[in-house]
Amino acid sequence: MKSPRILLLAVLTLGGLAPTLRAAAIPSIADAGDYSASFDTQYNSLTVEKVGSVVELRARSRRGEFLESAVDLKDPLTMQVAYTRTLYAAVFFQPNPQRALIIGLGGAGFHRLFAATYPDAVLQTAELDPKVFELCQTALDFKPTDKTPVALMDGRMFVKRDTAKYDWIILDAFRGGYVPPHLKTEDFYRECAARLTDQGVFISNLHQGTELYFSDIKTIMAVFPQVVLFNPPESGNVIAFAVNYKTPVITDSAKWGAPGTLGKVFGGKLDLVKVRTEHIPLPAKDLVDAKVLTDDFAPVEFLDTVKTNNTAPNK
Amino acid sequence: MISVVFYTLVVVLGILSMGFQMLASRLLSPHYGSSIVEWVWLISTFLAAFSTGSLLGGWISNRPPAQRGLLQGIAATLGVASLAVTAFWQKPMLDWIELKFIPDVAQMNDQGSGGMNAAVFLSCMALFFVPVTTLSSFGPQCVGWLAARGTPPGKASGVVYAVSTFGNIAGVMMTVFVLIPNFRVSHLLDVWLGVALVSLTGLICILRSAPKPAAK
Repeated sequence: MKSPRILLLAVLTLGGLAPTLRAAAIPSIADAGDYSASFDTQYNSLTVEKVGSVVELRARSRRGEFLESAVDLKDPLTMQVAYTRTLYAAVFFQPNPQRALIIGLGGAGFHRLFAATYPDAVLQTAELDPKVFELCQTALDFKPTDKTPVALMDGRMFVKRDTAKYDWIILDAFRGGYVPPHLKTEDFYRECAARLTDQGVFISNLHQGTELYFSDIKTIMAVFPQVVLFNPPESGNVIAFAVNYKTPVITDSAKWGAPGTLGKVFGGKLDLVKVRTEHIPLPAKDLVDAKVLTDDFAPVEFLDTVKTNNTAPNK
Repeated sequence: MISVVFYTLVVVLGILSMGFQMLASRLLSPHYGSSIVEWVWLISTFLAAFSTGSLLGGWISNRPPAQRGLLQGIAATLGVASLAVTAFWQKPMLDWIELKFIPDVAQMNDQGSGGMNAAVFLSCMALFFVPVTTLSSFGPQCVGWLAARGTPPGKASGVVYAVSTFGNIAGVMMTVFVLIPNFRVSHLLDVWLGVALVSLTGLICILRSAPKPAAK
């Protein structure tokens, strides 16, 4: 009778210790050595890998490992992941953000340049996975302040309950390479639109290559009168920028602020001239048959499995 | 012939029960996100409903025939009525519960907060517990019906739960891979209501039919 009890006790003890043992695999930030450590969290399977001074945060997905974020600990203001640079194209539409909201923390690659560039502005983050927040601090050296607060909760719940207005709302929430369906719907985008200031910009990180991409754009267009797309080079990402107003027109790139002037505030860490060249037209032809996603009809996971041949965004 | 209809209805009840769980997750996520907390309460509610329904059905199946017929009718009516509540009033109910228990960000600034748990629990109980409990209550009665027709009780129990579980699997698969990708959840809830009405009516007719005379 005792043996099964001892066995059970051993299993429970080891089970309880397992997260601690895995967590212990990650050295302190000051440690110069390279390492790779994996973590199974409530929502993700994460890998943190440090090579030299660059730390990558990756999430396992059905398509392999998905790079969530990367930070150079010796030069944290230089963004390592192309699409995070493109998020800053928001300055073409709203150059002086006082309050910004980002849904999805990742490794906080975006946050550091924002905090350095706009020291008086608030960058609020909503992150669902507490372990991501923990790793972001312990492995990627992110230090949240009263200007960069992090709320551990679902992004949609935050948007619904928070009463503040934002100049930028950035949707960059991924769970193992895909975005949960309730963050992809017209209903949710309307909730985001209601939280924008008059000149505010809604920004969403989209993935090309499946039918979901066209549905994403069509759904955003169902809410926002103007939508502009940017395609960072050599990436499957497309960043959508959308505003609540019809005038002034933002779809004409000739009318955007001069990147040379705007770029100065980033202290040489961001080449806005280059970012500007990433602007692409809307894939109008492919949007005709795309489905608008709603809370009532959101087959996100299925559209994400239907590959499209024409991944060229301007087709 | 009656056996084919009987087993078909058992499969249909299985489909309705577990397919409903997949629809339920779609109803909750716009209100409470897609956190693990939501799934904990959702799965627990369905398991509690299966458990309660089995107890209830076992009790009903041992009542005298006249009383049993009445209780079957009440259970079926309750099941259909509660599905109608879910189909027609889920949105205002979820809106009300969400606002009542999670009035602001401070109330939900961690996933284990009381307000969040209470809101998801109450939503699950209000919208899903009664329909699934009543659907589950017909399982033991189906066992009783088969046993009354001469099938050994152990075998009757095994067959009914095997067929019902097959229906559960079919319900999950069909809902996730066929129905949700092609139809609005609100329309699917209407279909659930209609199918429950027809299948429960049919099943009650069968359960009330006279058992086969015992072989001499």
